[in-house]
Amino acid sequence: MPAPATETTEKVHIFGIRHHGPGSARSLVHCFRELRPDCILIEGPPEGNDLVKYVTDPEMRPPVSMLLYAVDDPRISVYYPFAVFSPEWQAMTFGVMHNIPVRFMDLPQTNWLALDQMRRADRIEKAQAALEEQNELPDDGIVRDDLEDTVRDLAPAKQGNGSAPQPSSQLVLDLKAPVEVNKDLEKLHNKIRRDPLNFLAELAGYSDGERWWENLIEARRGREDVFVAIKEAMSHLRDDLPDDPHDEDYEPLREAHMRQTIRTAIKDGFERIAVVCGAWHAPALDKMPPAKEDAGLLKGLPKFKLAATWIPWTHGRLAYASGYGAGIPSPGWYHHLWTSEEQVAELWMSKVARLLREADLDASSAHIIETVRLAETLAALRGHPLPGLSEFSEATQSVLCFGNPVPMQVIHDKLIVGETLGEVPAGIPGTPLQKDLEREQKRLRMPAQAQEKILDLDLRNANDLSRSHLLHRLNILDIPWGKKERSAITTSTFHEYWRLLWKPEFSISLIEASIYGRTVLQAAETKAKEVADKSHQLSELSKLLDAVLLADMPDIVEHVIKCVENEAAVASDVKHLMEALPSLVQIARYGNVRKTDLGSVAKILDGLVSRVCVGLPPACAALDDTAAQEILVLINKVHSAISLIQTPDHDRQWQDALTRIAENSASNGLLAGRSTRLLFDWRKIDASEAARQFGLAVSTATEPALAASFVEGFLQGSGLVLIHDKELLSVADGWVQSLNDEAFTNILPLMRRAFSSYAPAERRQIGEAIVRSRGAGGLKRLGRGAEAPIDLSRADLVLPGIAKLLGVLPPAKSVQSNEISSKDPQGE
Amino acid sequence: MANATNTATILRAHAEQQFAEELAELAKVDSKRRPPNWQMSPWAVMTYIMGGKLDNGYEITPKYIGRTRLVEVAIATLATDRALLLLGVPGTAKTWLSEHLAAAISGDSSMLVQGTAGTAEESIRYGWNYAKLLSEGPSMGALVSSPVMRAMSDGKIVRVEELTRMPADVQDSLITILSEKTLPIPELNTQVQAVKGFNLIATANDRDRGVNDLSSALKRRFNTVVLPVPDTLDEEVDIVRRRVESLGKALELPAEAPAIEEVRRVVTIFRELRSGITADGKTKLKMPSGTMSTAEAISVITNGLALAAHFGDGNLLASDVAAGIIGAIVKDPVQDKVVMKEYLETVVKEREGWKDLYRSCREF
Repeated sequence: MPAPATETTEKVHIFGIRHHGPGSARSLVHCFRELRPDCILIEGPPEGNDLVKYVTDPEMRPPVSMLLYAVDDPRISVYYPFAVFSPEWQAMTFGVMHNIPVRFMDLPQTNWLALDQMRRADRIEKAQAALEEQNELPDDGIVRDDLEDTVRDLAPAKQGNGSAPQPSSQLVLDLKAPVEVNKDLEKLHNKIRRDPLNFLAELAGYSDGERWWENLIEARRGREDVFVAIKEAMSHLRDDLPDDPHDEDYEPLREAHMRQTIRTAIKDGFERIAVVCGAWHAPALDKMPPAKEDAGLLKGLPKFKLAATWIPWTHGRLAYASGYGAGIPSPGWYHHLWTSEEQVAELWMSKVARLLREADLDASSAHIIETVRLAETLAALRGHPLPGLSEFSEATQSVLCFGNPVPMQVIHDKLIVGETLGEVPAGIPGTPLQKDLEREQKRLRMPAQAQEKILDLDLRNANDLSRSHLLHRLNILDIPWGKKERSAITTSTFHEYWRLLWKPEFSISLIEASIYGRTVLQAAETKAKEVADKSHQLSELSKLLDAVLLADMPDIVEHVIKCVENEAAVASDVKHLMEALPSLVQIARYGNVRKTDLGSVAKILDGLVSRVCVGLPPACAALDDTAAQEILVLINKVHSAISLIQTPDHDRQWQDALTRIAENSASNGLLAGRSTRLLFDWRKIDASEAARQFGLAVSTATEPALAASFVEGFLQGSGLVLIHDKELLSVADGWVQSLNDEAFTNILPLMRRAFSSYAPAERRQIGEAIVRSRGAGGLKRLGRGAEAPIDLSRADLVLPGIAKLLGVLPPAKSVQSNEISSKDPQGE
Repeated sequence: MANATNTATILRAHAEQQFAEELAELAKVDSKRRPPNWQMSPWAVMTYIMGGKLDNGYEITPKYIGRTRLVEVAIATLATDRALLLLGVPGTAKTWLSEHLAAAISGDSSMLVQGTAGTAEESIRYGWNYAKLLSEGPSMGALVSSPVMRAMSDGKIVRVEELTRMPADVQDSLITILSEKTLPIPELNTQVQAVKGFNLIATANDRDRGVNDLSSALKRRFNTVVLPVPDTLDEEVDIVRRRVESLGKALELPAEAPAIEEVRRVVTIFRELRSGITADGKTKLKMPSGTMSTAEAISVITNGLALAAHFGDGNLLASDVAAGIIGAIVKDPVQDKVVMKEYLETVVKEREGWKDLYRSCREF
């Protein structure tokens, strides 16, 4: 069909660009200015056509992403992110500003996603059938496992984060082709298809496709020339490369639809049609096959109801693979290339230097000059006319950072990737996350209200449990709709009290949170994962662990546990380790998280227990009382946690640690006392051994204050030990009696604190036990501690009156009780 | 060379003597632009260091096995007039690389100042021949020039080894030389100005950087390249095995060559503790205060071999290396002990086939 072909070349101008390539964007804008197109066609989903008008909205700030999602199930969705330097974004902006119609021409996602879902369902069916077949055959472990994996991978219909349909097609190969394909070669082919220009740049010895593009432009001067050259290069590449075995015919469909869109534009009478597509597609749009063929291909495709909206995006997220194939590794650098046409090197290095100065590192102008010089020499050594990002980075590390890679990480995070967060106008149609929340609110009958409301949730009730999960998840997303209150009424664990208050700014937070996912659950999971990855504080992580447990996100629990493990390994503060232990024990013991692999938890627990047991004894030495109190609480918690799981190995290690604390004379008395007591309660040492250690600790060589803190640690908790163990009681009693007046006054507050934790009945029984053990004769001596001996003759004077009141008359007894209570300050 | 000793009889030949043939071959094919006073172009230097095949089919042996990009930065630095500082833990081939760079660029690696706690300013600037000074008075004839001064007037590369071991005031005498490229001689009211091609390569151990930390004024004059420890386990096992074998020969140890498995275990332990993460990348570890360098792994194996040869049956066993391993880990009696115990209990104990090593280590 020669006639339409010539017509096409005259009216249609094809621009094969590099997705997210600032160089392409710049050349494109330049060409547009000369061409003055009257219609712009862009590779992208036609469902987004209505969204184009927003790009020039003053409130719109890239990076943003176009989000297409199934109305019925927002988990099925695709992102098309754009940065300000994306050629597609520039094309859209150009179109809207000059009032030129802009149309997207890719295969509609409505068909694409529907096709994908259909094929996916098909595959699951096949895989399951194959599995059943396998079940009938004699057990062949390996193949079956593979199949089971496949079914599992396919079964949840949700897609990976922000994935276009491509990744799922990977699975087809696993099923269909048991023949081992050359993986490396395939990877290379895939890479070429995704970013063919970068591949050409690599061939030319550049580390970055953008610098290559610039050199190309500078070498060739003319801008449109470049696009012609690229089209030629691509058609050679396409001829040489085999068909994508993973593709499942999407590619021909897409290109057919692009051509059909071009035909429609021609039919609509446009004269200068600018077609912006990935370089890879350029040759396919140049040669127009008969329209019938394309129409035939596109006939009868399944459909899906989709909604489209803009959501804010971040530079960091541009690095992810998404709608436009592979992500870009250095959005911040590209942004810099886009914003500074001249003096790229000097401006970039000044930014680096400013960042380093903020981090309190020396970075003078002299440094910058030297860095630029080194980068340029490096580029020359490597045979490039211009230094690229890798040359700048290496020169920076060598000159500015003295070879130290740590500051380079800061530069990478803040400059090379960048932290820019996009914004979208408020009037944009709602995001799936908002819709999902609305749906959940309706389902759980929890309307968003602007007045405060108290909610009492009974977690045994399924509906209330879901409500609690939702509130916890929203809290993870920093949308504190509900604040959990500590109940004053009851301490039961199956009740939660929430104070609900919906604030208007939560809507904005929701839009912001839509970066993380399309449903509340998914968003909370992604957010929690991100927080976990960033956090290096064990206590923070264990708090997060708690939160994800309450929010019922089993997939993330595992990840957070992993992070806890990693942090625990390097944590130098044994306190943090001890804080993390109890919640892990909870998980290991009760396995309340459905899918968490309990084996891995147990393994982490092993490591954690070992670390605590190794690190605790030295940490108990040379502590002041406040610090000791903190550790004491933790020791108690860890002890109950360890006795809960009852693993012989843990028990042995913990016992070992406690013994070392108890026997180390440098240990804080309180902790040594506590350790001895725990060992005794645990029947790891018998009464006589406990009495021996108690005696050692309180022997005359020891400072009374130190002895007292040992006694406090030992006696804390329950007093039964003193009631039932005569030996111990007599040691304790003997010690108290051996104290002189001054020492007694000094230790009295400590003793009082120890005894105050006992139930009144216990205190009374201890007193009585002492009385019993002494007999009446011993009691006289008890009075020694009281400063003034009682003047019996004066006391006798009041006795008749009291006797009258009580109606009894044993004078000796009243004296006794008086004295006991003076010894036992708590009274009754 | 003034004293042209026969290279066959001397214990260790300079790089430019040992690889004279390679240098000559390279010079033949090297047609690229050379910086002033360089013996060859930067590209040829690169080939000399990293090895490769020349257009005429001549094979150049690799001198440094590691990352190409680092060596590129080093050469590019020397091609600008900035001085080069090679940093790294002991045993990462800093001196080796600096010697070969000097040999390739200046054809002379012998201009060397060794930094020690006792290095005096004279060895960086100049000294006096006191007999002549007394008889003739101050003159150029009575002046004893330092390697730095000679390199300046000849336009060559001078090497300073262990820069951070020098006293700070001696280090600082380099500042004028590096920034003004001149060495004033106030006694004679003259100066030596550096000829093009002059540059300086310093090496320093970044573990004891604290010994005599560089002043920031001096630091600013250097481009720093950090030489890393070997990238992969296999690479490091290979290096250790080769070195142990050649050392074993030199020490004439009667023991059998160590089983590769034992070497692998030791290297694994060293790598894990050095990087603070287990080889499978699953568990993080605390790091000991020592360097855990490849050089130390080599000495642990050689010690073990000596033990096995003299007290055992000649076969290297876990018990022979256990003492060495612990000695290498525990440099600080308190902290490192915790590190080691944790490592033993959480990693070694669990690992399949490592029971013997666990037991031997626990015995110490």
